[in-house]
Amino acid sequence: MKRNLRFWTRYTWESAGATLSCAAVLAVIALFGAEGLDFGTFATVMPYFLLVSAILMMLMINTGCQTLYVPLLLSMGETRRNVLLGFHYYRALIIAVTLAACALIWLLAPGEVSAIGLRSIPTLLCVLIIASAAGSVMGTLFVKWKWLGMVVIILLCGVAGGTVGFAGAAAGDGLSIAKTADIVAHLIKLPWWLLAAAPVSLGLDIGFQWLLLRRQEVKL
Amino acid sequence: MSLHCENIIKTYSGKDVLQDVTLDLQPGKIYGLIGRNGAGKTTLLSILSAQNPASRGTVTLDGEPVWEHRKSLAKICFSRELNANAESGLASMKAKEYLRIASTYYEDWDKALEERLVKLFDLNVKKKFGKMNKGLLSMITIIVALCSKAPYTFLDEPVAGLDVVARERFYKLLLEEYTGSGRTFVVSTHIIEEAADVLEEVIILHEGRILIEADTQAFVDSAVHVSGKAEEVDAATAGLEAHHPETVGRSKGVTVFLKPGQSVDESYDVSVQPVSLQRAFVALCGEEEAK
Repeated sequence: MKRNLRFWTRYTWESAGATLSCAAVLAVIALFGAEGLDFGTFATVMPYFLLVSAILMMLMINTGCQTLYVPLLLSMGETRRNVLLGFHYYRALIIAVTLAACALIWLLAPGEVSAIGLRSIPTLLCVLIIASAAGSVMGTLFVKWKWLGMVVIILLCGVAGGTVGFAGAAAGDGLSIAKTADIVAHLIKLPWWLLAAAPVSLGLDIGFQWLLLRRQEVKL
Repeated sequence: MSLHCENIIKTYSGKDVLQDVTLDLQPGKIYGLIGRNGAGKTTLLSILSAQNPASRGTVTLDGEPVWEHRKSLAKICFSRELNANAESGLASMKAKEYLRIASTYYEDWDKALEERLVKLFDLNVKKKFGKMNKGLLSMITIIVALCSKAPYTFLDEPVAGLDVVARERFYKLLLEEYTGSGRTFVVSTHIIEEAADVLEEVIILHEGRILIEADTQAFVDSAVHVSGKAEEVDAATAGLEAHHPETVGRSKGVTVFLKPGQSVDESYDVSVQPVSLQRAFVALCGEEEAK
């Protein structure tokens, strides 16, 4: 298990690096047209770019993990149980790292958006858990049923991309702190259905994955 | 210490790919696993290393189950044939990363040997698998197999795509590692003639069943090719296990497998010649074409 944890911990840092790069690209795009924005104010919205990129990365990386790393580790003599535990350890760690980074930025750059952000952490946690489970389920479907999995991946990625695009369009020209505060204020209240959806999606994901993994054949 | 599988059955869509396979792999030997395409070689190696579940049957190492047993799995390395065109996304992985993951998971990984082999094969480990040809991918599987230092190491078509010089180099390395460590190797290959000299034991798998499991030399010595006029050959081999008859005009040739105490009656006008491992294999498994 020690070796397994070593692998997944390293993988977490690599994924965190990819998430950070994606967040930087999103931030640069959002900065076009933004005027009179000082660094401190910009820093308060930066965690939202980090969260959006974390969601996109979870959808992509968790799918990739199922198709590549899970069979690869099985081929190197790891047990199915340990692979499942390691994969979920990585997923918990990347969510914790993302939220911790967001919280740290908000604490270091106080402001209206930061205050909202800190109060939204339970909602954000649920959203990240659901995104992580969705990525993993897509991978499971792809490994098991190829084309059906591919259709689900395209649909989910389309919805995720569309949401980001729609949010960008709704924000209008350039980045506005007032508009951002209005939008993210909706995240403070954690709706019951979101609270329920997080453990349900995680449970479904673990169930599906174990059903596949316990009889999975290694193909590389 | 021995790796033992008993009554292994593997079924795909109602078809038995492996049928009641029982095998005992002793420590400190080099086994050759040979069989035609689709005979079930890769499936058998996958089941022995718990990479595929068997439909029925058990695999044990020193009496302990291999399936989901980390201690047993740590003693087995099945270095799979890499397919960069697969949907897994392997094409985008760099050789360096693959070797790093292997070094993390194999407890006795030999880093110095890895560096030596990378240099010897002149491999660019920064290259992605998708940009590597078949020969380079084979070199990676050879490096993982040798550096893992696993007491039971399986290689699936390790020389596929390698040129003759690289193949020679591989057999030399295999023997070097074998004599130095006493590990057990199971090498699945189609290039039988070249491998014959290094294989101590041969396992012939045909249509999902083990046809032969024997000492390579004893198996080769038990087979002879008898040729001459058809009626003379038939008379000389009467009562013997003759395979793969080949007839040209009035001449005939057959490969005969002799049991202890049996011999070809050389009072008839026939030529009796020793056969190679490849020819013996073809005689056993190439019947359909001959008929």
